[in-house]
Amino acid sequence: MDSLAGILHGLAVAATPEHLLYTLIGTFIGTMISHLPGIGPSAGIALLIPVTFGMDPSTALMMLAGIYYGCMYGGAVTAILLNTPGDAAAVMTVLDGYPLARAGKAASTLAIAAISSFIAGTMGVTALAFVAVPLASLALHFGPAEYFGLIFFALSTVSALTGDSLAKGLMSTFIGLALATVGIDLQSGVPRFTFGIVELQDRVNFLVVVVGLFAIAEVSRMVEGTKEGSLHIVRVKGKLWFSLDEWKRAYPAIFRGAGVGFFCGAAPGLGGTVAAMLSYILEKKVSRTPERFGKGAIEGVAAPEAATNADTCGAFVHLLALGVPGSGATAVIMGAFIMYGIQPGPMLFTTHPDLVWGLIASMYLGNAMLLVLNLPLVGVLARILYVPPGILLCIILGIASAGVYSFNYNTFDLFMALGFGMLGYAFRKLEIPKAPLLFGLILGHTLEQSFRQALTISSGDVTVFFTHPIAAFLIFCAAVSIGGSIWAKRRPRTLLHAAEQQVAEQAGEQQAAEV
Amino acid sequence: MRALRADLYLAITIIVVAAIYLHADAGLRSASIGDPLGPKAFPALVGGGLILSALLLLFETWGKRRALADTRIQPRTRDQKHVVLVLAGMIAWTALYYYVFESAGYLIATPVFLFGLLSYFNKGRHLVNVLVAVCFTATVYLLFSILLGVPLPTGPLDL
Repeated sequence: MDSLAGILHGLAVAATPEHLLYTLIGTFIGTMISHLPGIGPSAGIALLIPVTFGMDPSTALMMLAGIYYGCMYGGAVTAILLNTPGDAAAVMTVLDGYPLARAGKAASTLAIAAISSFIAGTMGVTALAFVAVPLASLALHFGPAEYFGLIFFALSTVSALTGDSLAKGLMSTFIGLALATVGIDLQSGVPRFTFGIVELQDRVNFLVVVVGLFAIAEVSRMVEGTKEGSLHIVRVKGKLWFSLDEWKRAYPAIFRGAGVGFFCGAAPGLGGTVAAMLSYILEKKVSRTPERFGKGAIEGVAAPEAATNADTCGAFVHLLALGVPGSGATAVIMGAFIMYGIQPGPMLFTTHPDLVWGLIASMYLGNAMLLVLNLPLVGVLARILYVPPGILLCIILGIASAGVYSFNYNTFDLFMALGFGMLGYAFRKLEIPKAPLLFGLILGHTLEQSFRQALTISSGDVTVFFTHPIAAFLIFCAAVSIGGSIWAKRRPRTLLHAAEQQVAEQAGEQQAAEV
Repeated sequence: MRALRADLYLAITIIVVAAIYLHADAGLRSASIGDPLGPKAFPALVGGGLILSALLLLFETWGKRRALADTRIQPRTRDQKHVVLVLAGMIAWTALYYYVFESAGYLIATPVFLFGLLSYFNKGRHLVNVLVAVCFTATVYLLFSILLGVPLPTGPLDL
């Protein structure tokens, strides 16, 4: 099935009342989650996975994907109205969004953010549909050596490009890989690193790790937050639309942002934050008036918002075509795929065409739903910000506990989630990125299998990884990503820190002014 | 400087953990019929990678040390110490909740657990806290056990 026929077929699948309803629920929940401080898309999806038990996998995945892009969509609202990014990727939107809101342009800024997200999301889904099919066809010819090279490349980029320190990125990846080796080795039947615990024989439950590492650990951030000041929300006044002049300035930024975002999403590990940052830098570079950036330039809102939404589509390219996640949230969605008994990857387009094309088409519909939902309901949705954080953190802990128990109906998983929650807290305090651990854990098993199979086929000759051209190319790319990150000395991250510092300074100035 | 010291301790901890992991790997049974590597080789590479990443962190820390040599260590504030205590208490309370999760049942353990937490984090609003604890428990129980068919433990309230 070619891409165009696939999209049309997918639209027929996604437009059924049940699928439309769950796509709507997913996008709505995603928007709500993006308004909650501390809870990002990875934790949100993991918390909601138990609710999908018993659902048809297509319906469940449409809902989970809706949560992901709904989250990216809604992150701008808190960034603009509250000077706090709803998710990490919205950090660049704060720089110009909040000054615009303070200048009385909250309504038009929100409208530009919504339109940017919609256009970039739609462009991103189209690009996803047309890129994923040829990539999946190519991947069908992959053998164990090529798969090893591919996963090696994905793990290298996520280690090198996430966080500030290459050493900590690698450490996180290797911890994930070590966790992936726990349980009975399927090739030899030998139990490994189970220390006599029966529950560990069936491997470490990926979703328990995600809930612990993201949801439970983030509760600790909220505990710290309850000690800080109250929220200062800018009220939205006037019509939620923008002027022609604002549109003229925003639309080139939207298209550039969408392009940057999609490419960042398609590179495993880069993530929405880097996409938003690069698009912001690009806009500032091409602008004739770069001095307006940081003080209230509408392009500074349009570009990063477009980039983060296109990035989510780019992240799905890897997942659907190659079976390798493109971001932390798609790693969680990959966990859901596996839980439903479906292996994402090139075969997906032939074995489950309804599911894969339905999922892609549901993103078109979900984007349209978000636009309709967000513009008129922005004031209503922002009310979730008024829920006291003390209540919110208790509710999150309650949902996480019920969800984790329902995975296997045993309390061992609960204690394990609590343990991973403590590990997640330590990761945050020590500034160790969490996404590489997720990548290592979910890809570790396939990495080991392909490594062993490749060496079995070659009778133990390790040059097999360098004599197969695609595998050699991917390993070369991995080396370049690691070498590049050392050479660049994390320069882009320095710029991101400057942005975060600016956000903190703006917040400080605002509080001082109010005192 | 505190961050650098934390990184130093982190690197040492990772080396110790990797050593334990490699020791456990060495003790695994070898069963490599038709598989030249067997179950021990991949974990050995992972353990080696962990040690390498810790050594790289030590190298990075050494590089930053000179740049930050002049910065003074800020003492922990009273608030920071308080947060650590609150978190420790919350972990202990959550562990107790998980311990009685099956024996007391979801419908008894959860409202008590939530009310305990809310009494601290949402101080003074007892009525709201009771309502949140009870309504949340009832909603989740109905959603999971009735609507989704995912049974939560009932404990002594075997409905």
